[in-house]
Amino acid sequence: MLFPPPRPHRLKVENFGPIKSADVSFGNLTVFVGPQATGKSILLQLQKLLVDTPSIKKEFARAGVDWSGDYHGFLDVYFGEGMRSLLKPDTRITLNGSPVDLERQIREKRPHRQESMFFIPAQRVLALRDGWPSAFNYYDASVPFTLREFSEHLRLLMSDFGTEGTLFPVPRRLKAEFRDLLQDHIFPGFDLKIDTQRAQKRLVLASQDKDGGSLPVAVWSAGQREFVPLLLGLYWLMVSSKTPRRKGVNWAVIEELEMGLHPRAIAVVMLMMFELMARGYRVCLSTHSPQVLDAVWALQRLKNHGAPASELLQVFAVEPTAPMLELAEKVMQRNIKVYYFDREAGKTKDISALDPSAEEAGESGWGGLAEFSGRANEAVARAVANSNQ
Amino acid sequence: MGFKEVVAATPKLAGQWQAGLGALRPQDKSHVTPEDTSTARLRGSVDIDSALTASDPNGNRWDFAIGYQHANRSDEYIYWVETHTGSDSQISLVLRKLAWLKTWLKGDGKKLAKFDKSFVWVPSGATSFTKGATQVRMLADQGLLYTGSVFKIPINHATAKLDNATHNRSRRRH
Repeated sequence: MLFPPPRPHRLKVENFGPIKSADVSFGNLTVFVGPQATGKSILLQLQKLLVDTPSIKKEFARAGVDWSGDYHGFLDVYFGEGMRSLLKPDTRITLNGSPVDLERQIREKRPHRQESMFFIPAQRVLALRDGWPSAFNYYDASVPFTLREFSEHLRLLMSDFGTEGTLFPVPRRLKAEFRDLLQDHIFPGFDLKIDTQRAQKRLVLASQDKDGGSLPVAVWSAGQREFVPLLLGLYWLMVSSKTPRRKGVNWAVIEELEMGLHPRAIAVVMLMMFELMARGYRVCLSTHSPQVLDAVWALQRLKNHGAPASELLQVFAVEPTAPMLELAEKVMQRNIKVYYFDREAGKTKDISALDPSAEEAGESGWGGLAEFSGRANEAVARAVANSNQ
Repeated sequence: MGFKEVVAATPKLAGQWQAGLGALRPQDKSHVTPEDTSTARLRGSVDIDSALTASDPNGNRWDFAIGYQHANRSDEYIYWVETHTGSDSQISLVLRKLAWLKTWLKGDGKKLAKFDKSFVWVPSGATSFTKGATQVRMLADQGLLYTGSVFKIPINHATAKLDNATHNRSRRRH
């Protein structure tokens, strides 16, 4: 059975922060690429604000955040201190063809709806800064909502694991194939556990060797520090193998999934993004990793050429077990969009075709991600051509 | 001597020089575009493949040579261009063509070999390589630049190379 295409969801934005003009039609997977500070993250945050206004307001109210009906004050507490300047007098937002009056949407009382978009922010490592996730209120109002909310979700998640529980590997959490890959590439020889030290709970990496000790967050590798909050976020989204999605949650945003990770680990995480897609989430990624686009490019091409699902698993060097083949088959029916945020033009460009031979440099160079390789190849080719050796 | 004169003096290429991109087959012309839309910088082209068919019918002959005058170089530059399907299965054939060209440049083409140059493979259809692909790196290691479907000849070369007189003239203008 063919997977139905996603409901159209098109966001157009003009004059919003660094964005002069963005026009994004979201797919089952949507990937944003582009240099730093071109508006990828704020566009995703805006998207969350648009789809989750009631739950965001409720969370602020619950935490005692008083924006006193001041619209610009609200923008500061939502996007983070000083970010009210994102909105300009000539900012225009259009969602699915209808203009959005953001101020009115924020001010008006609407019936509460559960959160629909789960956001794993790029600054996620801060959520575990002290070895244990902090409550929403712990952060001051200068911190963006998405980080505060993510930290709060992790705090709630911890209560599912008891006081001295194991967080990884855990049966029935993630497919066995994922557990094996993560063990190999991210936690070799270690379990992720909850430990209590002087009455304070904390996360540790406990050696699987009987005589080995436990490592607190401060001594984890950069990749492990970055990955653990991402893993916990994925636990939040992948409730169990029998429940494909968390109730009410349709969107999953993961910013810079590649942070701190070796390419082999990035491949595992990318495969987990495919798992989210297969479960029916609309997944949005922002990335600076050419490897993420390599994976998307391979998926697009294999899909277009009617390749068997096992070919996709080959890309990730994964055994074609029945659950993984099912995952790959589902993903190969999904629709993917890729957008480049062009700093010079202040515009988004649809580069979903990812055509390496495209005349447009933004597309062939994959939004700058392959630009350096291209220049390196050119320089080497010239040097070899003109060498006397 | 410039590109045109050296072509005329090269065995079996006499009379083969053509102005602009005139030597390119019609189907190849859309794959090569000078960035400078005035064609004054183009110093002509030669269809190597056709010119040498009779003398080397079984050779893996290269396609074209294009002479170009970059704004930041004193001497003319040659782009040796092969328009060819861009896929894994064609790599060995294109590398054989490159080897043929390098050999020819040591023999009959030795005067043309004195120009600074780039060997360029322009994919003639959809390509299966990404810019960072291992195959593209491997080709670069052989001196072969793999481009997008349209090869844009830049006005300025990546590395300027001006003789003293031209350099001084250029400085005075600025």
